[in-house]
Amino acid sequence: MTVSTVSGSATAPRGPDRAPARRVPAGVVLSFLVIALVVAWSVAPGLFTAQDPVDGVPADLFLPPSAEHLFGTDHLGRDLFSRVVHGTSSSVTSALVAVAIGVLSGGLIGLIAGFLGGLVDVLLARFVDVLLAIPSFLLAVVVVSALGFQTINAAIATGISAVAVFARVMRSEVLKTRSAVYVEAALLLGGSRTHVLLRHVLPNASRSVLQLAVLHFGLSILVIAGLAFLGYGDPPPASDWGLLVASGKDHPMAPWLVWAPALVTIVTVLSVNRISRWLRTTD
Amino acid sequence: MSTSHTARRLFRIALGLLAATVLATACSPGAAQTGGSGEPRSGGDLTFLIDSLGDTWIPNNSAISSFQGHVWGHVTDKLVYVDETGAVSPWVAQSWERNDDATEFTLRLRPGVTFSDGTPVDAAAVVANLDLWARGRPDEGIRPIGLFPKTYDSAEAVDPATVRVRFSSPTLGFVPTLGYHGSILISPATLARPAADQADLSNSIGSGPYVVESWRDDDSVVLRKRDDYDWAPEVSEHQGAARIDTITYKVVSEQPVRTSSVRSGQADVAYNPSPKELESFQAEGFTTATPRYLGFVNGFAVNTAAAPFDDLRVRQALQHGLDREEVIATVYTPDWLPAESFLQSNVPGATDHSASFAFDRARAEQLLDEAGWVRGADGTRTKDGTPLSVTLHPNPYLATSTAVDELIAQQLRAIGFTVEIQSFDVVTYTQRVEIGSVPLYEVTRSIIDAGTVSGILTDADNGENWFGVGQSDPKLVELASGIAGASDPAARDVQLDELQAHVLDQAYFVPITQIVQRIYLQSPRVHDVTYNGVAYANYYTAWIGD
Amino acid sequence: MNRDWTGYALRRAGQAVVVVLLAYVFTFVVISVLPGDPVTATLRNPENGFSEEEIARVIAYYGLDQPVHVQLWEALSRFLVGDLGVSLRSDRPVADMLTEVLGSTLALAGTALVVAVVLAFGIAFGAQYLPRPFGPALRAFPSLFLSVPNFLIGLLLIQLFSFQLGLFRAIDADSPTATFFAALTLGIPVSAQIAEVLIANLDHESRQEYAAVARSRGLGRPALLLRHLLKPSSLPVVTVLALTVGELLGGAVITEAVFGRTGVGSLVERSVAMQDLPVLQAVVALAAVVFVVVNLVADLVYPLLDPRVSLQAGPERGVAAR
Repeated sequence: MTVSTVSGSATAPRGPDRAPARRVPAGVVLSFLVIALVVAWSVAPGLFTAQDPVDGVPADLFLPPSAEHLFGTDHLGRDLFSRVVHGTSSSVTSALVAVAIGVLSGGLIGLIAGFLGGLVDVLLARFVDVLLAIPSFLLAVVVVSALGFQTINAAIATGISAVAVFARVMRSEVLKTRSAVYVEAALLLGGSRTHVLLRHVLPNASRSVLQLAVLHFGLSILVIAGLAFLGYGDPPPASDWGLLVASGKDHPMAPWLVWAPALVTIVTVLSVNRISRWLRTTD
Repeated sequence: MSTSHTARRLFRIALGLLAATVLATACSPGAAQTGGSGEPRSGGDLTFLIDSLGDTWIPNNSAISSFQGHVWGHVTDKLVYVDETGAVSPWVAQSWERNDDATEFTLRLRPGVTFSDGTPVDAAAVVANLDLWARGRPDEGIRPIGLFPKTYDSAEAVDPATVRVRFSSPTLGFVPTLGYHGSILISPATLARPAADQADLSNSIGSGPYVVESWRDDDSVVLRKRDDYDWAPEVSEHQGAARIDTITYKVVSEQPVRTSSVRSGQADVAYNPSPKELESFQAEGFTTATPRYLGFVNGFAVNTAAAPFDDLRVRQALQHGLDREEVIATVYTPDWLPAESFLQSNVPGATDHSASFAFDRARAEQLLDEAGWVRGADGTRTKDGTPLSVTLHPNPYLATSTAVDELIAQQLRAIGFTVEIQSFDVVTYTQRVEIGSVPLYEVTRSIIDAGTVSGILTDADNGENWFGVGQSDPKLVELASGIAGASDPAARDVQLDELQAHVLDQAYFVPITQIVQRIYLQSPRVHDVTYNGVAYANYYTAWIGD
Repeated sequence: MNRDWTGYALRRAGQAVVVVLLAYVFTFVVISVLPGDPVTATLRNPENGFSEEEIARVIAYYGLDQPVHVQLWEALSRFLVGDLGVSLRSDRPVADMLTEVLGSTLALAGTALVVAVVLAFGIAFGAQYLPRPFGPALRAFPSLFLSVPNFLIGLLLIQLFSFQLGLFRAIDADSPTATFFAALTLGIPVSAQIAEVLIANLDHESRQEYAAVARSRGLGRPALLLRHLLKPSSLPVVTVLALTVGELLGGAVITEAVFGRTGVGSLVERSVAMQDLPVLQAVVALAAVVFVVVNLVADLVYPLLDPRVSLQAGPERGVAAR
């Protein structure tokens, strides 16, 4: 039987359930294009907009979207499109930091627990249980309050709240691979544990972790935006997407201040989810 | 974040028409009161949406809170009343006199005033309050009232209606302080309780026109009027019991939800709407109020001990580099006033010195040139390789502070500064941003009496030393001690004027705008609201029309 | 079997207690890493103008001048006898504050759970049985639900149903209608997770041999669904539901902020802003208790519901193999 997890990470039905996808579906192609654009925005924002994201023209405040200002202007007369584009780098980086923390620390814990077993496994399992028992958003909120209200701290907090999930998946994958015949054989034949670990266990386990990581990238964008909504982000003039939405909502007479960055966020996360789903069905 | 524009526009038009016909006189600008239309009537319930209801309810610890002060203002009375011009008039204290050197005061109490548990507000009760305001019980977690004169010596009940108060040195500011938001009269029975009991609002017994009917932590407080109330401030046009039956303070932390609730008729008053929204609400017929408190203007206390602000020319460049009109036009509305001094212009004794720090970008640039800060290719100035940089810390106690600082950063960049903004939540702010630890400290502070400014100027007598000059400026030291020890108000006003000129000429203080820390958006059916000297809305005289 | 089950239950319960205690300690350690507390913060409010000596005396009253390990030991020994301490922010007993807000959050989370399950089953069955293009289109919903920031859903619902249509008073947060819309906000992402599992399982089950046999005997699709597919497909939902309980509590922070509700979530938000350690510790411990108990019950009940799962698999599923 199959049990999928909260994060949708685990073994969704495979094999005969779904025909192996040879051709990449159009939706996935589109998703990759979106992600490519987002990456381009974060690497070279200057190529996409010539307007200053920091200093505005105070006389031009709250202009609705137009050809000159695609997303309109904000409360200081700054071009919102420019702010979205220039904020991309921070949004993408913070989500990457969150995923990296989850993958690296969670992966390491899971790997050690699964590979060494015994007392180490028991102790680490308890630690992971504690992390799991605290609702992840609550955990992120508590951690960010301790670290201080900045986007990078929100990213770290988001990463920490994902450690448990990664540890679980890694551990179960390691256990699965370890008990595989060829790994047992390699150990019996006197292969060094490190060698076996690096050569056989890690590559096999990394596939599920990769899927989960892609999914968590999208999730992290949302969690960090949620933390920004509660006011736990960078000070101005930072323009992460979450911060833009959070500050835009205080100006109800200029609804574009919310919808433009929100749509960018939604489309990005949708694309990431689509790619993750596609990865899951094509292994 | 609307969806249906047409629906909303229709709704607005309907509301606008309704408001226009019912209330042609609504929405006077500025801190003005609502003009009444029709006869005041009794009855009705008022819902006031507020961002928060603060933290603890221990009276001493919460009375100065910008949020809980609203509740205390209805549940309790004060000894004197201070209006928005700083004028002091009798309330529970019917009259008072002082000796010549202002070290001994005699308060005569109004007869017949009772707490809501029936006990009298007599001299013994007032002495108990004075002692607790001045000293608190810190070992039990009950704090003194901030800004209560530190020169307090003792108080005694001469007879049930007379209190004598002694100070260790002249304290002209004592009587105005009694009208300050911290000085609320609470029943001695409540004050005798331990902190944990005082934290339960339903244990707080006051003598005000309303009593607490129910409350839920961080959610709401419901007040019901007291029918036997008959001791309003003498200057109040209305006397006797309040008109509105119940007032509900309801916490709604999301600003757009507060204002939209008032717009759609679900509530009567929204606290702290965004200033930029006010004009559209006025156009729809809603009442807005932007009363100013008595106190310092919004501005920067400059730490002259830290480079580059140890140079007078750089400080002056800062003063002339700020375009206050642009701040008002961009962040605020014309209801806000530019600063004229470092004191709000409604503080008795404040004088107009706006010429000495007027916006003049060319002058600012020239001053920086003279001081040796040279513009580089990227437009920023440096001197011997050091960039001309400054970090702004928006004051978390003022909602608009971040937007103001963003704009000021832009204005300072225009004259060659490198500007960073570092904003913190309240807790972190109090840890990391202190006067003296940052080059520019953004001031928001109410004071009820201009005499208290002497305590911030130098480091003498545990002074706060806002400008980091210690006692190195003889003129400042002289003025500070002169004002602190003054026993004649007229002579003190002369010194105050001199002090304002000196502080602004030396550019110790860089004023921005006059502060409106409390902003109100109000349904047109609410009339005759009053605002006191610390800008709290009071609904004792208010009534609800159709 | 019965003795096995009892032993297993006792062992799991013991583990649960340890997890809750560790969660309490963990919160303390995390918050104590950096300086800062609400008492000092309000004392240093410039409106107060207190001297350092006055501040020090108040700090001593709260025991905040003690070394960290002493504070932890005191908090822990209090916790063990059921005393949650006193809030540094409001000066009130934490237990009182929690009981005051618990009801509202339970109503919200409970409604959200129901909404999520109904929504998920609706989407999953629709995806299976509705004709093109509706069925396949429904398959995209879980993904969409998981891509929209939660607070945006909430703000949109309020704007539309309260301010435009007037279905409820936004400020009367505890009314049934307002609770429903708040629960919808909270339930939407949760429903997506349940729907994903359901869709996958329905796909899987309907390809099984027994389903084909049933179809060949002329059983209609709805009848097939009700009689054969529903139970095996929904059983795993029990486990997913248990796991999402934590998510409902975490999500309540944002939902309650958007809808102006007073509950555990809003208590967390206030306490975080002021670093009110005793309250945060208590809330985290409470969340851990809820999570651990619900999962314990789910794991213990599961083998009784589904004969295919042996006890042996139970603990594995419970602790590790997710």
